[in-house]
Amino acid sequence: MLDQTSFVVDGLMVEGPDGARLCASVCDGCGTVYFPRPVSCRNPECSSKALQDRLLEGRGTLYSFTIQRYQPPALFRIDNWAPYALGLVELPEGIRVMGMLSGFDLDTIRIGERVKLVSECLFTDPERGRVMTYKFAPDISGRAPR
Amino acid sequence: MKPVYVLGVGAHPWGKWPQKPQVTLALDALRAAFADAGLGWQQVEGLVAASSRFEGGMGWGLHANEIVQTVSEQGIPCINVGGACAAGAIAVQTAWAMIASGQHEAVAVVGAERMPKGFIPRPPGSQDDIGDSDYLRWVAMGATNPAYWALEAQRRFHEFGTTPETLALAAVLMRNNAAGNPYARYREPLTVAEVLASPMVSDPLHLLQICPVSDGAAALLLGSERFLDRVARDPVQVAGCAVGSGQFGDPARRIPTIANNVLPGVAHTSEVVGAVQRALGMAGIGPGDVDILEMADNSAWHLLAWPELFGIVEPGQSDWMLAHGRYARDGDLALNPGGGFLSFGEATTAQAVLQVCELTWQLRGEAEGRQVSGAKVGLSAVLGLGANGGSVVLKR
Repeated sequence: MLDQTSFVVDGLMVEGPDGARLCASVCDGCGTVYFPRPVSCRNPECSSKALQDRLLEGRGTLYSFTIQRYQPPALFRIDNWAPYALGLVELPEGIRVMGMLSGFDLDTIRIGERVKLVSECLFTDPERGRVMTYKFAPDISGRAPR
Repeated sequence: MKPVYVLGVGAHPWGKWPQKPQVTLALDALRAAFADAGLGWQQVEGLVAASSRFEGGMGWGLHANEIVQTVSEQGIPCINVGGACAAGAIAVQTAWAMIASGQHEAVAVVGAERMPKGFIPRPPGSQDDIGDSDYLRWVAMGATNPAYWALEAQRRFHEFGTTPETLALAAVLMRNNAAGNPYARYREPLTVAEVLASPMVSDPLHLLQICPVSDGAAALLLGSERFLDRVARDPVQVAGCAVGSGQFGDPARRIPTIANNVLPGVAHTSEVVGAVQRALGMAGIGPGDVDILEMADNSAWHLLAWPELFGIVEPGQSDWMLAHGRYARDGDLALNPGGGFLSFGEATTAQAVLQVCELTWQLRGEAEGRQVSGAKVGLSAVLGLGANGGSVVLKR
């Protein structure tokens, strides 16, 4: 079973040929993009509230960050715990998304850096195999966001 | 609407009280408030309790019912309000409306809490799936509550050039304010160096810049003009009070969500800003008229950000205000003159009731060891889970 992979929670993300994508929704009525997928559009100006699934590429800029110096309580599972960075990323769709950061030196993270979405293993479980979550990593491709 | 006055206030000191059940803490606070008012259960026409999910209330948040069944079965309406950390403010608003409407003459408010140790556990019955934000934030990234406040603080460093020393100074001010307050749990003075030497929890927030959890209880007796002659002192009036919920597009990092839509022109922490604006509007005063602000300082960052969000000072001005002593008890705005959440530790549902008690003591000139001289207008502000905001304006 150890060669199989799963995600930390169903409905959060997918892994396609072009890499990891976030499972989001877009409202046909007002154009608002939501992540994670909501039960309903929350825009009080919108009366249509017709949601459709959409995948997000997850390229954006680092709006803020912090370093978790203490291990979170047990609901959070991670192999080889060590302090790690959490980021708040501004996506071009008008959403700010929190997520773990990957590939950063903890002492030199800077607000405004360009980041991209990646999928990484949090822990390995005998039943679930390699359990993946999304993270944001430095975007050195130089590509402009969508 | 009829005018509403604070007839009496009382509190049980904050701390850890393993030998005292929550209902006992509540009764101690109510007894103190009634004694302060010179009134008893016989005059009380209603009881509003801030509902806890940690203890008591027969598992349904029926804390007011539990209290009257314990101490005085007199047939009065018992109203129990939810609102997490803002429940106390919602209870005050409810009692105020019961009197302002003319339906009742005297209504008591109580919030009492004994907090579990460590991180606040998820409520029983929560679903382990993506629809539960509290589950999602833990399993997907392990985001603790301090991490949310730290993201805000780090952004403030970037936008306004706030320094670690200034952020530490906010925590120092709270301890200085608490030094003479018998209700505060942490009263030992602190230095900036000690704050910065405390363990880093979530950069840039150190341990001494994050509010712990405590046990405590606070109570109020609100009443109509009918009781004014019974209160032998300058009356303190509830000049404004309001509750609010969050606005779509609010840029605040709302616990426990992992993402939010950000729209231009929407206030940061809109649930609290909206409540403050409505409470001030009802009182007919502007933010610049406030002498004392009693606000929820879950972290040192809140102490810098909230006076700006309420329009009391300009965005980015809090650093200067703090560094120049303008937020001290003898400054332009007395910020949490009793020591704030950082010196009390949060006893969730009791906290917003205590804010109104503290403002009352201050406006009466009875805040021994922590008195702000000549204060005439006090404003409270609190935030609770579920995007609940609450605010009360008291005037002497």
